[in-house]
Amino acid sequence: MKLLLTVLLAGSAASARAAAQFRVVATVPDLADITRRVGGGLVKVDCLARGTEDIHQVVMRPSFVTRLNKADAVVYLGLSVEHAFLPGLLDVARNPRLRQDPDTLGCAGPGCIDCSEGVSALEKPATLSRAEGEIHPQGNPHYNLDPGEGARMARVIAAGLSRLDPEHAADYRKGLQDYLAELEPEVARLRKLAAPLRGLKAVSFHKDTAYLGRFTGLDFIDTLELKPGVAPTPAHLEDLVKEMRSQGVKLIVREQQYNPKVCEWLAEKTGARVAVIGTMAGALPDTDTFLKLGARNIQALLQAAAPARLTGT
Amino acid sequence: MRISRRLLAAPLLLLPLAAAAQVDVSSGTPGILERLKGLEERLAKVEGAPAKTSLSAFNPALGLALDLAYTHGPSDKSNFRFRAAELNIEAPIDPFLKGWAIVTGSNDNSTPVTLEEAALQTTSLPWNLTVTGGRLFAAFGRLAHFHDHELPVTDRPRSLDTVIGGETRADGLEVSYLFPTDTYINATVGLYDKMGAENDRADVTKSRSLYEFTYLGRLSLYKDIGDDHSVELGADSAWTPKRFVDDRAGLGVNTRKNTWRTLNGVDLTYRYQPAAGGMYHGLVWGTEVMQNDERRFDSNDLPTDRVRSYSGFSYVQLKLGRRWRPGVLVDLSEDLDQARKLTKTFSGFLSCDVSEFQRLRLVYSHQLDNVPGSRGADIVSLQWTGVLGRHVHGFRDR
Repeated sequence: MKLLLTVLLAGSAASARAAAQFRVVATVPDLADITRRVGGGLVKVDCLARGTEDIHQVVMRPSFVTRLNKADAVVYLGLSVEHAFLPGLLDVARNPRLRQDPDTLGCAGPGCIDCSEGVSALEKPATLSRAEGEIHPQGNPHYNLDPGEGARMARVIAAGLSRLDPEHAADYRKGLQDYLAELEPEVARLRKLAAPLRGLKAVSFHKDTAYLGRFTGLDFIDTLELKPGVAPTPAHLEDLVKEMRSQGVKLIVREQQYNPKVCEWLAEKTGARVAVIGTMAGALPDTDTFLKLGARNIQALLQAAAPARLTGT
Repeated sequence: MRISRRLLAAPLLLLPLAAAAQVDVSSGTPGILERLKGLEERLAKVEGAPAKTSLSAFNPALGLALDLAYTHGPSDKSNFRFRAAELNIEAPIDPFLKGWAIVTGSNDNSTPVTLEEAALQTTSLPWNLTVTGGRLFAAFGRLAHFHDHELPVTDRPRSLDTVIGGETRADGLEVSYLFPTDTYINATVGLYDKMGAENDRADVTKSRSLYEFTYLGRLSLYKDIGDDHSVELGADSAWTPKRFVDDRAGLGVNTRKNTWRTLNGVDLTYRYQPAAGGMYHGLVWGTEVMQNDERRFDSNDLPTDRVRSYSGFSYVQLKLGRRWRPGVLVDLSEDLDQARKLTKTFSGFLSCDVSEFQRLRLVYSHQLDNVPGSRGADIVSLQWTGVLGRHVHGFRDR
């Protein structure tokens, strides 16, 4: 009898704790990780995209609708990078705190936490035309590939949580401080670690490495894709081979979700080496946090670029 | 003692700065304070400036889908078909409502321009309710409310055309409820003039009794099976209590007895979306079965028998690369007047997604009736579809 009572009490306490938690939906695993670190036990975080997916092609699952329907807040990257799934889901989530923003393809309403707030957006398109591929009107949205953006993202999340759940603002500030205390030295270490990459020329599969280039000093001169979101064509790849040879490019960066065969072909043609990186936390083994992903990406770049650095090309 | 030392040291530390400022002033360049003042003024201008926007900011989002096809067969004849230019206009109306309209132009001589949808939908009702009213695609089945260019094959499955009459276009009102559970369960009830773009059972321009309207109920359920698999189930019933028909032969026969119609359907969609999100690999299997039960009328609108007929289709679409999506579709349609007359359609198709906004599709179909002496028909289509302007992925047509 005692055992039964204990189990019942424990169960009801657990459900009460879950109900008391602030419910947050993060669009990508990086943001889910940072939100968990800042919010600690006060928040219950659900994530939509899987780290292994291409963020431009995340499929809208009805199970995402029920998560957004009950959410107190949604944490998202913004700059229209979640265009494939977030606007459509918010449109049917029936949550007055979170609505689709038809102008930005993001979120409108008190529960929205837009992590692009305060970012210095790179590669803002000069012309808005689909002839330039699947461009993002507000600029390149892949800032989560820059470990140096972590502190800003964490601050935005902490400010958002404090605004929406002011009773626990002090706890969120504490969570932020604790996270920054861990993040900032690690980012500084990664910056030092990446120093040998500065000035090296590289190509990437998709045009999502602008911020990674800013952090590492890598000079990304072109992409395997013809235009953003448009698969490589044979003619473009032939041109790319010539361009890489003429500029001495010895590093190909493949985001793990893209086809390895094309990169291997290009590597064979140019003598370059391929570094496989993740574009979201969880993309590669043992990269379940934002910081681990950043460290793993830098290591992959250094490893692939090692011969190029030795030969000085 | 320490404080006094610091007080003494502070002016000494500031001396070089002051000297630098004096040097700047004497050399004719603006001093630090002046530069700071200038920066503050510029910052104030930026912060106080109105948000950058255009005068078209409140205009609705516009998108235009162009859908063309070249078709060969049946009877060994070919034609180019301008299938549709579908203009989609959508915007929020106020904090409580949004609206959209879809106008389609095609090479249909009788109705070259059609208003396919023009609907208002609530956005902030409590209790997970949404009300949609106007001309809309009723929530019956799955593919039945897809627009033509969004179907997995070029031509709408024959069973949908037979039983529903094209898309589920309807003038009316729908109320939908999302259950507040972790599992996705959605219920919809609807009241319409009639359902089906080419359904000619009722003249929607005339008013009539409520028992001559069509009533719909639908329940859909979705379940993730692990990370990579999912199943979606739906069941629906559309009921029209009575139909009132005057005979065209002039015999003075009015028929309204035993004229109720029920259209029931079940649909199942299975999706395999592997860890990479289905970018290079994936599978969709969709199946729908419908049962139509109604009193039929001959060409003079004289009543004949009640007929219960079944129709349905099943398709599988694979993803075999970033661009390529092959698939097959089998459709079985019983004739609404003679349930034993069955038309079978077998289709194979290959879609090539050139980009997110352009698609090419090749379809081969073989159609066969079970009527003695009938010959099968072969049809080959090449479809080319492109989308201009704003394009947001809709949840309903996913």
